[in-house]
Amino acid sequence: MKLVIKDLTKTYKNGVKAIDHLNLEIGTGMFGLLGPNGAGKSSLMRTIATLQKPDSGTITFGDINVLEDNMALRKILGYLPQSFGVYPKMSAEALLDYFATLKGIHSKTERQALIKEVLEITNLYEMRKKYVAGYSGGMKQRFGIAQLLLNNPKLIIVDEPTAGLDPAERHRFLNVLREVGTNCTVIFSTHIVEDVKELCNDMAILNGGRILKQATPTQARLELKNRIWTKTIDRDDLEAHEAQFNVLSSNYNEDNSLNIRVFNAVQPSAEFIAVEPQLDDVYFIALKTDEPVAAL
Amino acid sequence: MFSTIFFHELKFWLKRPVTYIYMAIFFVIAVFMAATTAGIFDSITATTGSSRIVNAPLGVNGLFNGLAILIFFLFPSIIGASINRDFKSEMHSILYSYPFTKANYLFAKFFSAIVVVSLIVMTIGVGMVIGYRLPGTNADLVMPFDFQSYLNTYWLFILPNILLFGAIVFAVVTFSRNIAAGFITVILLLFVQRITDNFLYDQDYRYLASLFDPFGSSAVSYYTRYWTVYEQNELHIPIKEVIIYNRLLWLGIASLIFGIVFKLFSFSQNAMSFSFFRKKKGERATKRNFGGIVKIDLPKVTYDYSFIQNLKATWKITQVEFKYIVKSWAFISIVLVGLIIVLVALSEAGSQVGASSYPRTWLMLQGGGIFVIAINICTFLYAGMLVNRSKIANINGLEDVTPIPNWSLFASKFIALVLMQVLLLSVIMVAGILFQLYQGYFDIELGLYIKELFGLKLINYVIWAFLALTVQTLIRNPYLGLFVLLVLSIGIPLLSLAGIEQPLFRYNDDSGFSYNDMNGYGDSLPRYLFYKLYWSLGGLVLMLIAALFWVRGLPSSFSERFEIAKARFKTPFAITFVAVLAGFFLLGYTIYHETNIQNDRYSSKEQEELRVNWEKKYKKYEAYAQPRIIAVDVDLDLFTEAQNFEASGRYTMINKTEQGIDSIFLNYNDYDSTFKFNKENSLVSEDTLYNFNIYQLKQTLQPGDSLRLEFTVKNKPNTLFLNNSPVIKNGTFVSNMELFPNLGYNGGELTDDKTREKYGLAPNQLKPHPSDSTALGNTYISKDSDWIDFETTVSTSEGQIAIAPGYLQKEWVKEGRRYFHYKMDSKILNFYAYNSAEYEVKKDKWKDVDLEIYYHKGHEYNLKSMMDGMKASLAYNSENFSPYQHKQLRIVEFPSGGFAQSFPNTIPFSGDAGFIADVEDSEDGDLNYTYAITVHEVAHQWWAHQVIGADVLGATMLSESLSEYVALKVLEKELGKPQMRKFLKRALDDYLFQRTFESKREKPLMYNDGQGYIRYQKGSLVFYALSDYIGEKVLNAALKTYVEKVKFQEPPYTTSIDMVNHIKAVTPDSLQYVIKDMFETITLYDNSIKNVSSTALDNGQYKVDIEFEVSKYRNDEKGKQLFSETSRDSISYVPEGRTKPILSLPLQDYIDVGVFTTHNVDGKMEEKQLYLKKHKITAIHNTISIIVDEKPTEVGVDPYNKLIDRNSVDNRQQL
Repeated sequence: MKLVIKDLTKTYKNGVKAIDHLNLEIGTGMFGLLGPNGAGKSSLMRTIATLQKPDSGTITFGDINVLEDNMALRKILGYLPQSFGVYPKMSAEALLDYFATLKGIHSKTERQALIKEVLEITNLYEMRKKYVAGYSGGMKQRFGIAQLLLNNPKLIIVDEPTAGLDPAERHRFLNVLREVGTNCTVIFSTHIVEDVKELCNDMAILNGGRILKQATPTQARLELKNRIWTKTIDRDDLEAHEAQFNVLSSNYNEDNSLNIRVFNAVQPSAEFIAVEPQLDDVYFIALKTDEPVAAL
Repeated sequence: MFSTIFFHELKFWLKRPVTYIYMAIFFVIAVFMAATTAGIFDSITATTGSSRIVNAPLGVNGLFNGLAILIFFLFPSIIGASINRDFKSEMHSILYSYPFTKANYLFAKFFSAIVVVSLIVMTIGVGMVIGYRLPGTNADLVMPFDFQSYLNTYWLFILPNILLFGAIVFAVVTFSRNIAAGFITVILLLFVQRITDNFLYDQDYRYLASLFDPFGSSAVSYYTRYWTVYEQNELHIPIKEVIIYNRLLWLGIASLIFGIVFKLFSFSQNAMSFSFFRKKKGERATKRNFGGIVKIDLPKVTYDYSFIQNLKATWKITQVEFKYIVKSWAFISIVLVGLIIVLVALSEAGSQVGASSYPRTWLMLQGGGIFVIAINICTFLYAGMLVNRSKIANINGLEDVTPIPNWSLFASKFIALVLMQVLLLSVIMVAGILFQLYQGYFDIELGLYIKELFGLKLINYVIWAFLALTVQTLIRNPYLGLFVLLVLSIGIPLLSLAGIEQPLFRYNDDSGFSYNDMNGYGDSLPRYLFYKLYWSLGGLVLMLIAALFWVRGLPSSFSERFEIAKARFKTPFAITFVAVLAGFFLLGYTIYHETNIQNDRYSSKEQEELRVNWEKKYKKYEAYAQPRIIAVDVDLDLFTEAQNFEASGRYTMINKTEQGIDSIFLNYNDYDSTFKFNKENSLVSEDTLYNFNIYQLKQTLQPGDSLRLEFTVKNKPNTLFLNNSPVIKNGTFVSNMELFPNLGYNGGELTDDKTREKYGLAPNQLKPHPSDSTALGNTYISKDSDWIDFETTVSTSEGQIAIAPGYLQKEWVKEGRRYFHYKMDSKILNFYAYNSAEYEVKKDKWKDVDLEIYYHKGHEYNLKSMMDGMKASLAYNSENFSPYQHKQLRIVEFPSGGFAQSFPNTIPFSGDAGFIADVEDSEDGDLNYTYAITVHEVAHQWWAHQVIGADVLGATMLSESLSEYVALKVLEKELGKPQMRKFLKRALDDYLFQRTFESKREKPLMYNDGQGYIRYQKGSLVFYALSDYIGEKVLNAALKTYVEKVKFQEPPYTTSIDMVNHIKAVTPDSLQYVIKDMFETITLYDNSIKNVSSTALDNGQYKVDIEFEVSKYRNDEKGKQLFSETSRDSISYVPEGRTKPILSLPLQDYIDVGVFTTHNVDGKMEEKQLYLKKHKITAIHNTISIIVDEKPTEVGVDPYNKLIDRNSVDNRQQL
């Protein structure tokens, strides 16, 4: 099923235009929504997840008109917000039972079987009697995935789920997500390019409430083939290079010299070496092209 | 660092709109209350007539403190939350690593919050100042602005209370990190105050209660309890020892609590938890490697979103919500403490003058009323917690995207709230049953508990739950919501002050219901339930509106919420909404139609105007001569099932004047009536508004001529909303005044002079002075008759007995109805009543007088006390005054009202005024009030039914004071003199306390206006003391002569002057002053023991040296102290070390001095009197020495409190 967003706009009370005439089509599989903090990712995701009403625009998922028929979407929606809390003094098991009820499972035995399964998937089974409020960050995120699975969702929206997780947790989390997402649409927002690279078969870069670029990660990289160049320079020469070249990123080396990556159709000068394009480059180029021209 | 945090906090609050909302609410309430007491609504409601200055220091203190109690409900969210906020925002993890000390942090947080609260509370003061002075207030009730009144209240009571309760709430919330717990704490603290309040009633505990009342109001009333109107208007609250100790004590406790917070608080991540169990052993937690790939294969389950399944889900969510409420220790503590509080209240329930009642179930239910406020606040609080719970827990993002419908979430919160109410209501039931079992009382009416608590009461709370959920949903700040709800629930009943009097217009108001053993709920339930149905629909309308605004997801503004609400308003919701709304209006219209259109309804304003016009229109006929009724013969049919009556009667009247009478003024009731005179006449004026007709006789009724009136009267049909008849199913009690016509203008004028002035009426003298010989034509009971012949036939249902004064001539059954024919053999006052119920009868005899008690089956407890009381009173009165005029005496039970009333040979006695009293066999001399009331009422057969005063000032002294005197004397014979101190002290306390509520004037006993506190309490004290001074025999002999002279007299009737003259005649010259002090003036003493010592003498005796002070003063009618009789004849004494002299009237007084010891009698310490003698006192300061035989333990000046003294405790001192 396909998620189609057309001409979506949302302006907040304080005047911030979080989503700006946004158009997007998302098919089955993992979809990465890449963007810096404040780009409008969460607003977009909350809007898709029926938590917010846009000012204008339409969202359809398959034949569900999401904005008109919230309930139809909620039945097949799994949503994990960027941050969430839990009720105090409730164990994972009790809380999942509560969510299973909310999600329309009314047979007690079925609920129990399902909860056992999702707890095992998320490796929380042994902690099931403990209060969720006392869980560590990673465990809580896994609990979030567990509750998300309860209604066997067709559309999964996860908002920056890997922020703050240790590498092992993150790895584990992405694996589960990947597994879950085989047969459905997963929208996955992050500001970590790495996540998208590892996981997604489609992606979009979002900033200022607009889609700057949509492509598959591989395709996006291919587009840049032979257009990314690198050079090692002194720290003091950076400003000069930035003025002269389209510098995408710069990294320190151990000896305090800098590696800069430059985007250019041809080799800018002899010192530059062609390098394999990375997703980072795609990201930075997209953001750069969107930068407002400084007024003179 | 302190100031940084302090000002940051302050800024935080001053920037928040909610601070100003609170201020505005307090301001508005204060303006409203102040303006109302100052009479701003006099133009739309009844006039606030009072001799009290509303903004006198005491008034300011009362209102300011009263309103400030509301501020306690802000503590949890302002003071409590100041630290909690840092936890909530997870700021604490950063903040606590900063380099400031614990002291800086805690003090800054605490005091900034205190400052915010103190600022908010100040708006109350400002509002009051403005409210008192608002245009339209009555300038007579207001004195010039006095800053000190406000200041004293503010710094002496309000600020310390903020500190104290603030510290407690701060401690609770800081350690529990639970704001709800803060609210529960506030409720518990209010309970503590209720308990100390209870102890205030008992003089012996008054000092302690004053010290320990955390609010300090008891400490104030320790000094101001007996303040007269004059003193209330003029004096500032004395800042004296008890108040100072109380304030210091609680400030100390506040610091202690803050100290504990300071000691225990640490900058840590986790909340303090109180665990009864040992901490579990720590375990090292390691993560296992879980890098592997899992295969996800979810079991197949069925998803069902049907209505039925959603209902099941609703129940499931309800359980989760309910568990959330009841599993918190805050809630558990309110249940436990509530249980204790209710038990304490129950031990007081139904108690009268210090004695208790059998714990009937309905009494238990009444006693449970103390818990009402807790149930309401819990409803308001938890409505807010439930509505905002997911937002507070930040789980709403997960919850709101599930396919559960809104109504399911909303309904589950509602049901959980109602379940909580059920649980809290069952606290009352559990407490009631525990108490009954503890008392060894096993007649537990389980059905009644369930019906009243989980039926009648629960509906009431459910309607509050509707409103609570609505307000909390719309406001979305649970603490502001709670506050708004509190203000609403307190404010709605106060709407009547602003002229909104009908329950129809006041949310969740109703017609009330009451229960008694004889008549159950009577006919009150259908009416009550109709109102409750009406308001349930009203509440449902609100809930439906709230459902429209129910927040799902994250709407960014109210306008967006409004858009969503508009979108939600579609079929079938709209249809439901319209249907409920239509139902609400339909029921409302039905009520309105019934109560305002079908029947005349008068607001208190209109009633006031009616009285004014009545006086203006008809007072001119007051002096018009009318014939006197000399015989009454009535047939009355009581239809107890349908609650109707029909009567026909015949009055025989005679012109006793010496002039002709040409017109008859007939004053009747609002019943369907017909009148027929046996002499030709024309109806010249018919007034169906005032029910006052004027008939002009064709031929003047000449002196000595007679006239007969035949009348019929029956009630208009009863409706659901109006009961037009005094007949009830079981236990009817109705007097002739309520049913039958009478002659002439019968008064009922407004008494407050300021109100009268407003309507252009002359000042009211209440009643003529007894020296006015032209005013002695009527008794104070009836204006149209002297003594009558009485005969009546009364019929009732077959199963009931109907009783009226007189002797039963015949009893028969006809067509399923039982008839009784009564006839009186001697003359009686035109004052009789009918009773009808399913009675049991107990019979006995005293000499040749038949004694009967008609009682409700099951109320056998005190029949013996009543019989004994009848016998003792008959004996005392007939031995000392005159023979009993009847051959029979009956006590007849009626359902409730807490009183008894004496009619000729018949005494209706309410079931709750003695029939269920638990007094028999009380060993420690608890006042057997059933016995006392019986003696008193029987004494009325003499003191009212033989001797009846003219309708002038002081008339009630001849009936009520004398009956009280007889009751005390009979009790004294039963219990012995020393036991009388308890009753005298109680009477003294009641007199001194009740006179402070006097709204017009207090006159001396023999000129009193009929106030209860004068005719009962003061009257009993005075006559008892008098019998002590001149001797019981001498007094009774004088009274006997007096009775002989005046009993059954025709007009002019006797007055208090006549009686006092008889007493004066037997009083020696040296004691004539007593008569002047006690009867002719309001005289008070201030007697106290200053110093006492005893030395053992060689002969085994003891010499007791006593230093004591006596002073005496008079009060004017407003209660101003006067120390001189004429001018400059007061005496004074300056005690050592003081500069202000003690003043007194000149003294030539005889006052008891007593010395006491204690004896061990059967393991109990009993007081024994070693010495008691009246000493002649001529100076304020006195020292005397007394030799006694045993080692004394206590001495006293006026030790039995025979004299009126505002500090009766310092009359005695222990050695």
